[in-house]
Amino acid sequence: MARTDPAAFLPLHKNRFHILLSLVGCEQHGYGIMQDVLQQTDGAVRLWPATLYGSIKRLIEEGLIEESGERPAPELDDARRRYYKLTSLGRKVIEMECLRLEELLRAARKKRRQEAFE
Amino acid sequence: MNRWEKLCLAIYSRLARAYPHEFRLICGADLDRLGEDMVPETWRRFGLQGLVRLLANTVIHLPFEYLAEFRQDAGYACRMLAKSPIFTSVGIMSLAIGIGMCSVILSESNGLLRPPPGIAEPSTLLAIRSRVSYPYFEQYRDRHDIVASAAAVLRPVPFAVAPSGGASQAERIYGQIVSPEYFRTLGVKLAAGRSFDPAAEKFGAAPVVVVSERFWRNHLNSNPDVIGYRLRLNGRMAKIVGIASRDFLGVWPWNPSDLFVPATSDPSIAPELSGDPVHQDEMASFQVILRLRNGVSKAAAEAALDAIKRTLDRQKGLEPNPDRKGLEISLIPAGTFSLVTPEQRAFIYTTNVILWALVLSLVCANLANLLFAHSSRRRREIAIRLSVGASRARLVRQLLAESILLAFAGGLASIALAFGITRIVSSLRLPEAVPVQLKVEPDFRVLLFTLAIGVIAGIGFGLFPALAATRTDPNPALKEGSRGALRRYRRLGLRNLFIVWQVAASLMLLLISGYVVLGYRHTAIDPGFAVAGLDLLSIDPVRGGYSADRAATLLANLPDELENVPGIREVGVTGGVPFTNLTADRPNTVISTSEGNDGREIACPAFRERIGTGYFAALGVPLLRGREFDKREGHDVAPGRAIPAIINQTAARTLFGVTDPIGREIREGHLKFVVIGLARDVRSGFLMPKPVATIFLPLTAAWFGRNQAQRLTLLVRTAPGRDALQAVESELALRHPDLLIFDVQTMQEKLEQLNSFIDWSSSIYVVLGALALLLACIGLAGVTAYAVVQRTKEIGVRTALGATSGQVRRMILSEGAVLVIAGSALGYLGAFTLSRVFSASMETFATTFAMRANQPALLAGAPLLLSTLAILACYLPAARAARIDPVTALREE
Repeated sequence: MARTDPAAFLPLHKNRFHILLSLVGCEQHGYGIMQDVLQQTDGAVRLWPATLYGSIKRLIEEGLIEESGERPAPELDDARRRYYKLTSLGRKVIEMECLRLEELLRAARKKRRQEAFE
Repeated sequence: MNRWEKLCLAIYSRLARAYPHEFRLICGADLDRLGEDMVPETWRRFGLQGLVRLLANTVIHLPFEYLAEFRQDAGYACRMLAKSPIFTSVGIMSLAIGIGMCSVILSESNGLLRPPPGIAEPSTLLAIRSRVSYPYFEQYRDRHDIVASAAAVLRPVPFAVAPSGGASQAERIYGQIVSPEYFRTLGVKLAAGRSFDPAAEKFGAAPVVVVSERFWRNHLNSNPDVIGYRLRLNGRMAKIVGIASRDFLGVWPWNPSDLFVPATSDPSIAPELSGDPVHQDEMASFQVILRLRNGVSKAAAEAALDAIKRTLDRQKGLEPNPDRKGLEISLIPAGTFSLVTPEQRAFIYTTNVILWALVLSLVCANLANLLFAHSSRRRREIAIRLSVGASRARLVRQLLAESILLAFAGGLASIALAFGITRIVSSLRLPEAVPVQLKVEPDFRVLLFTLAIGVIAGIGFGLFPALAATRTDPNPALKEGSRGALRRYRRLGLRNLFIVWQVAASLMLLLISGYVVLGYRHTAIDPGFAVAGLDLLSIDPVRGGYSADRAATLLANLPDELENVPGIREVGVTGGVPFTNLTADRPNTVISTSEGNDGREIACPAFRERIGTGYFAALGVPLLRGREFDKREGHDVAPGRAIPAIINQTAARTLFGVTDPIGREIREGHLKFVVIGLARDVRSGFLMPKPVATIFLPLTAAWFGRNQAQRLTLLVRTAPGRDALQAVESELALRHPDLLIFDVQTMQEKLEQLNSFIDWSSSIYVVLGALALLLACIGLAGVTAYAVVQRTKEIGVRTALGATSGQVRRMILSEGAVLVIAGSALGYLGAFTLSRVFSASMETFATTFAMRANQPALLAGAPLLLSTLAILACYLPAARAARIDPVTALREE
């Protein structure tokens, strides 16, 4: 049974989080996602092909991303590439995960401020 | 691209193509494309190390993807199985019962053949098949070029055991009388103290004893300072010199032993040593275990020992037995739980392997039929999935996952069942006079093996239907009801052969279990005398320290002494315990007379029983003619005079026909008897359906002296409604404080114990028979249903051409009937052959088979029952077939 409650997917694994994040607001193919993640993390997270596609396959099965029907202009397109986009469930999941992380960060900062004060 | 990049890309492409079909469907092309992008970039950034990392990442993820698919398959299989609960439960049940029963059958026999605990290197331990006298044993033992070590054992030997100084009642504990080399030969380590030593154990030395760890725990309160402590054995003091290692209960612990006494002890410690068997050449009462020297073959040892025996025989002036050809010494493996002769071993293996193979083949045939039927129902589903792009391999894997899951579930259930059954078996008390350690444990090797066969059967029989189902072209399969080209009905098709075998194997199991069950049921005991109000007490005056004369006097007076106890009506004494073991009342002698009707010498095999006064009165079976033994017969008659004897009706009829036997003379060897009484036929053992000719002889002092009588039993007939056992026990304890009393029970309890054993033994076969029926029905119904589904179109065509529903029904039924008849015929033949094989190899089977093999109820009933059920199983799908609407069947052509 596919899960429909976004909260059920939290917390997200690091790789899945970065993949979903790179798809926010745009559609990407696998190589694009990889490059994006590399940039987002200043080179700290490198998704190797098998890892990347293993995660992508499971995200598709869970209904968080889907293949996009739209293709770029023919002169830029490569027929072998597939483009992926967030589903509405995927969007909710990444939003909730971001909120969760912000909460965590806020709590951590507060603690640090207290320590500095003392 | 340089050559490293090219090489890396080539390997990468290969690896990417090896990913599972469904993975490739979703992102296969993308994965390939990404590689092309990544390889040059990785080389640029990280060099060779990066390329290696890229490939490693691809390799590592490969098995995980397959595993993920497998998990999906298993989940899907679980859901599919849950969706068809009848198919699933029937499959699991037949596997569980089949594998469970098989494991129990094999575990039970392996239990007898398993190595006994506490003995070193059991596989090299041998025993001389026949019993041996002690002086001969010493000669064998001293042939050091052949024999590494050897020991003599006399067993089972009961001891009356009381703690030293304690006034408490003695207890009867079984042990062994052994030669001093016993522990060394067996390689048994002692937990404390010393073992026996040929140097220390001199003839006639003060008695010493080694006790088992179990005895030390249960009777000596695990006292660590017990070495040197004295035990009262049969009225004599014996010093404890050692405690055997944990779990060691003697060689062949089927009859567990707790006390080990050297054979060199003073003979007064055990009546078994009276008559000095240690120095007597003629008393072949010892069993010999030995280990051969390295490099000596069994055959060479047998020849060498045989030569010694012949030389000794010649020296003693013994004539060699002219009938005996070949070697007189034969060595058999002895490192087993119970001493099993090679013939018994062969029997155990053949019987069990045959039963095992029958049950397992039934289960397999059944599973195959079930899976075929199941997959045929899912043809459309498979076709749809094939047409939307599922790979054939994946579908086969999925179907296989279902059958493997089924096999596993069945296997697990069977393990639970095997544990349950073996627990029940182990809790049973066998009706034997000597304690028996019946501890059946599921043998894990057997369980694993049977489980493996079940799983292999699941895979094998799951694979064929899966391959067949996925081979179909989806197009015609998707058209409702269409089955592709019309196929000819194949009479000798694989499926029909399965059915024939199933019917045959079921009938074999049914008939064989029927023979045994009816045979056993018949032996359920109706002793032919009033059981209520009859109590049994066993006493052992010899081990209570009574001399033979004193014991005879005791026995003569006991009835009078006890008759004064309130509530007691009659008291009788017997040398054997009625219904104590499986072989009681087998003929053990031959009696003859020359005073028969026509003056010719007539002989008949007979069972000899020693009884005291009042035996028949206590049993409640008055003599037909003549009188019982009285006190006079407790003492021996002068040599040459005839000994008084009582015979039963069967013996009288055989020897004297219809004439009066009283006063006639009969002989047993050179002994002469005169008949003083004629008793009614009464059974005292079981498995012997007909009364056996029996001669009752008086219990005399001389007999006590000569024989190592292990017990005497008092039969106490009480007044109705009185429980006088307690009173008898206290009266005996008061009058004879040193008398050992044991096995106190009512006759009713004795018979119930025996009957529960019979019930249990037969219920195993009832289950086996029921299982055979159940499996056959399931299989037949499944396969007929499958056949009908397969032939829907053909039936549709026939109906469209004018066949009536009755004709269709008849066609399906008659085809089924042919198979059932063929199977029945084969089953008859098989059962007949098997019953001969079993009878030839074991007497118990022979008796039960002989009794029941010609029972018309069974011979006609079993196949009738089976074929009725089988035809019914065929009828249901046939009726469904007859209702097929030709329009529906032919619509999608």
